Parts: sequence; structure tokens; C-alpha cells
Amino acid sequence: MAHEPAHTEAGKAEHHGHGAGRYWLVWAILLACTGLTVYTGHYHPNIAVALIIATFKASLVVLFFMHMTEAPGANRLVFSVSLVFTLVMMAGVFGDLLTRNPMSLPGAAPPSEFQPR
Amino acid sequence: MSSSDGGHGAHPGPHLAHHFETIEKQDYAVRLGMWLFLGTEVLLFAGLFLGYTVYRHFYYEAFHEASRHLDLWAGTTNTIVLITSSLSVALAYHAIKQNKTKTCAGLLIFTILCALAFLCIKGIEYHHKFEEGALPGVFYHFSEVTAPGANLYYTVYFLSTGLHAFHVIIGMSILIWILARVLKGEFSSNNYVPVELGGLYWHLVDLVWIFLFPLLYLI
Repeated sequence: MAHEPAHTEAGKAEHHGHGAGRYWLVWAILLACTGLTVYTGHYHPNIAVALIIATFKASLVVLFFMHMTEAPGANRLVFSVSLVFTLVMMAGVFGDLLTRNPMSLPGAAPPSEFQPR
Repeated sequence: MSSSDGGHGAHPGPHLAHHFETIEKQDYAVRLGMWLFLGTEVLLFAGLFLGYTVYRHFYYEAFHEASRHLDLWAGTTNTIVLITSSLSVALAYHAIKQNKTKTCAGLLIFTILCALAFLCIKGIEYHHKFEEGALPGVFYHFSEVTAPGANLYYTVYFLSTGLHAFHVIIGMSILIWILARVLKGEFSSNNYVPVELGGLYWHLVDLVWIFLFPLLYLI
């Protein structure tokens, strides 16, 4: 990395708030998780494992890189609500899909219609 | 970027808009506005993720097979590039809070270079897919994956990574604009909110990719 000297300079100074060391730690954990997700995804693909690792990585980014830990309550609420509504949307769509008559699902149609052109 | 006009003046301290009583109130509103905007971004991508999940549910085999034809090496490199750029933008914010203008500018330049690297790698991947004919909808003529629904996988792939790449371009432009203002000496330890908000946007770009990467490349 071209800016290595600048990084260490910022790392030493801890005038107010926390030091830059925290960011480096989060970065190292994120890289380790990336390695883990590539390994598990390539050799033992499992959507649940992939999503758990991704959620963990995303949480680290939101909490520390985006300073959610230091954000006032209103900001936390606003962002969390968008996540809650994402879940509501998922639940609604899957509630519909999983309870449909099998005949109305794409798999029930003649396969010839789904051949790529 | 909401009412983030705080600090646009040429003076060293942030500019206080007339409808705010204090800088603290203005900063509070600016940050809240940014988080609100990020919330809408989450919902925008959530719709795409939902489309992905529904089609994957129906065409599980095709999605699995098609995902194995993406370049895992390029995807992993891009993940590392974005995570590292997230670190550098966080460090840039840290530096400006300590009046280290040059460090901040250097880190922002590094972040912008990371954004360019990401776009180049993505461009090479796209070029490869265009040559193979692994394209959305009726344009699909990739002979190696013929399972029903494979073209839907590539529709989702191009839509979600395309929208994400568009966000990378916007994020990069914002960071270039902030860099220009850092170089002009507009920001300091008592005026850094625009650097913070630009950083927040960049972290969101990283956040979306953290989910896109395993869902597209590793299923």
C-alpha cells in the first residue's frame, strides 16, 4: 500500500475518541471473514453460513466504520427500521410463494418454455 | 445529500444555515438526514435481493451452475479492494478530526484509486460475460449453462452488480469532490461533517457488496 507511512502516523496519535487501531482490527477481521466465506462457499456451499458471515461483516462495518456505536438513538432507529421493513417484505413475499398451489409455480409449466433462446 | 450544506462556506469553521440555532443542531439534523437516506438505499437493494431470492428458489440448479461460471478470483479481489477502501475512508475521517489534512487527502486518493480498481475489475468481468453470451433475458446465448432459469440468474447478476457499480461511481465522485475541498483546506477538526457523510456513503457501497459477493459468486 502506497500510503503505509501515513497510516502508521494516524495510528500513533490518539488525541480524542478512540485510536485508529480499532479500524485496522475491524479491517483484519473483515479480511479473515472474506477468506472464510470464500472457503466455505467454494467447498461446502451453504446459503445460511454465507448469510451469517455476511451479516457479521456488515454489522462490523455499520457499528465501527460507520460509527453506529457512537450515533444518537434517532439515527440508530431510522436505520434499524429500514432493516425491519426489509424483513417484513421478505416475510410477505415468502409467505405468498410457499403457500401457493404448486400448479401456479413456474416449475409446473412445460420446460420447453423456459429454454434459453 | 439531505441538508448537508453545513460547512460549504470558504471559512475554516462550518457554515451555520439560518434555520438552525446551533452548529450542534445542524450536525445532528445532517447526520439524521444521511442515515435516513442510507435507509432508503438499503430498501432499494433489498428489492433486488428479494428478486434474487425468489428466482433462486425456483431455479436452484441453474443459479448454482451459473454462479460457478463467475470469476471467483475477480470477485474475491474486488471484495478485498472494497473492504480496504472502507478502511482508508474511515482512517481519512479519523485523520481530518486530528487536523491531519495531508494524511486525510492521501487516504482519500487511495480510496478513489481503490474505487477505480474495483470498476476496472468489474469491467473486465462484464467484458468476459459479454463475449461468452452470458447475458440477461433474450440476449442469453451461453452454451455452457442451459438449465432453465440461467438467463434469469444473469439478469439478476447484471442488474444488481450494475446498480452497485453505479453506486461506486457516485461514491467515487463524492469522494473526489470532498478531496478537492480537503486540498483547499476547507476541513479541519472543527469542520469535518462532509468528510464523515461521504465516508458513510462509501461504507454503504461496501455493505451492499458484502452481501452481493457470496450470494452471486458462492452459491
